[in-house]
Amino acid sequence: MGEALSALARLHDAVTRLGFHLSKLCLGIIVVAYCYEVFARYFFGAPTWWSNEAVQYSLCIGCFLMMPHVTKEKGHVAVTVILDMMATEKTRILYWFIYLVGFLACAAATWISLDENIRQIVKDVHLMKVKPIPKIYISAWITYGFASSAIYFLRMLDPRTLGIGKPASGMHG
Amino acid sequence: MVWWGTLSGGLAILLGAFMTGAPIFIAFLVINIAGVLIVLGQPGFGMVANSIFETTNIAALSAVPLFILMGELLFRSGSIDILFDSVDKLVGKVRGRQYVLCIVLSTIFGALSGAAMGVAAMMARTLYPGMIERKYDSRLSTGAILAGASLAPIIPPSVLVIIIGTLADVSIAGLLIAGIVPGLILSGMFLIYIFARVRANPELAPYGDSDTAPEVTVWEMVVAVLRVLPFAVIIFCVMGFILLGIATPSESAATGVLGALLTAIYYRKLSWRMISESVTSAAFITSMILVIMASSKMFSQLLAFTGSTRELTTLIVTLNFEPYVMLFIMMLIPFILCMFIDQIALMLVVIPIYQPLLGTLGFDPIWFWLIMLLNVTVGGITPPFGYTMFAFKGSAPNVPLSDIFNATWPFVGIFLVGMIVIAAFPPLATWLPGLL
Repeated sequence: MGEALSALARLHDAVTRLGFHLSKLCLGIIVVAYCYEVFARYFFGAPTWWSNEAVQYSLCIGCFLMMPHVTKEKGHVAVTVILDMMATEKTRILYWFIYLVGFLACAAATWISLDENIRQIVKDVHLMKVKPIPKIYISAWITYGFASSAIYFLRMLDPRTLGIGKPASGMHG
Repeated sequence: MVWWGTLSGGLAILLGAFMTGAPIFIAFLVINIAGVLIVLGQPGFGMVANSIFETTNIAALSAVPLFILMGELLFRSGSIDILFDSVDKLVGKVRGRQYVLCIVLSTIFGALSGAAMGVAAMMARTLYPGMIERKYDSRLSTGAILAGASLAPIIPPSVLVIIIGTLADVSIAGLLIAGIVPGLILSGMFLIYIFARVRANPELAPYGDSDTAPEVTVWEMVVAVLRVLPFAVIIFCVMGFILLGIATPSESAATGVLGALLTAIYYRKLSWRMISESVTSAAFITSMILVIMASSKMFSQLLAFTGSTRELTTLIVTLNFEPYVMLFIMMLIPFILCMFIDQIALMLVVIPIYQPLLGTLGFDPIWFWLIMLLNVTVGGITPPFGYTMFAFKGSAPNVPLSDIFNATWPFVGIFLVGMIVIAAFPPLATWLPGLL
């Protein structure tokens, strides 16, 4: 049982690693698409129809492909002022509850997103773009991001890993 | 429930959830899913899914990863060292020249990077040890670096501007360009403050340090200027393209990334490892930010559904306060909250509430949101919670956090004076965007 779970965990990590690399590719697509658009418009007088759509899709897909990796690395932004002032033992208990709530919230978001995915497939919903594509092609990645993050929060509930690392401060501003 | 109960209760629960230490996106998800269930019932869940989809499909938000990537490429490649050397040669012999170097470099970095944390960390690693070695005052050095780094979100490119512009539905190009003049004014104010402090207390800058400035001939100064020209090209790719109407902010950000890559090639600093690390960092931070934005979107919609936003607007009209009193109140709340919570989380809560009020109060959106930008930016250096301070601490671990806290207050005061100046003279913010 333990070995089976470990194998599943390794598979989960491998899928996350693949998503992590694909997310970087999405960022590359955004750079190339917009640079090409600027050059095509001003040097060749031929604006593209696809660059904006490629950027939108890459942004959404890339964001949710990276999300499980961010969760795994405990990289989500959190305000830890109070936690930092607390005793270690109390902090461990509080983190356990935070991960539990994280799991429940991500699982609920997965269910909501999956329900919407099914509706989009059944009703054959397309995105209103220059070249319409089925909405599920993009929205499915949102479901993946939340589902995989939910699993990571679940894995963090394991007492052996609890308290190692903590929700990190972000890097913006 | 009455609207003010819903509004204040919702905000209190949300802020309480932030303070538990839970990831901010989780706090928003829990409140929004529970809120939808109470207000709209299960059929409302489709709206939650759509709000997440729509937020992450906004092309304008692609400027967030691109601006981050541009700064990462420049900092990680080491290209920035050339800029460092050249500016060092050009600053000349002035009393407290390391402080001057710090502010001048920060202003230029502000035009090359979209986030204060990167600049603060980089300056703490590179400039700060030299300042201490030369017996410069630790507290003033720390304050100067943190204040200088805080220019990055104000002078374009700016990640915070992209987020404010998207949330407040105001011209991102206009808001980006509006930051140039206030950024330069603040930079000037920092320099005036530093000169005044050094004049009042000469011990803050060691005697004879100006003599350690490199002896520079006119030709060497010309070479120093020529060496930094590639950086001018990057700045032109971002600010120039937007000002000339050649590209949208996102497109100009992409050309800025290309410019950063070409600069690294020009200085022979390009490597696959550096590119990979830069892209990884940019993609990671972007996911972190966009997941929060996507999870929070429903909050503003819930406020609208409950009628809270509309009732608040009606109340403001009834109160008939002077606009400047309202401006003061509207800026005081985020200023205080930013001492304790994350800047982006705060904006996601405050902007949907403030946006409908602007029309009623007759405020120019660019002017108002620019003052808000200054306000949330200073939130990065207002103790006890501020990412810019934490980034500095991470790169200069020997500096006690209490010293960092004490160092920032005078510069927070300068920021506040700057905000009052911009509030009193709106053309300082609106003149440049008016040229677009």
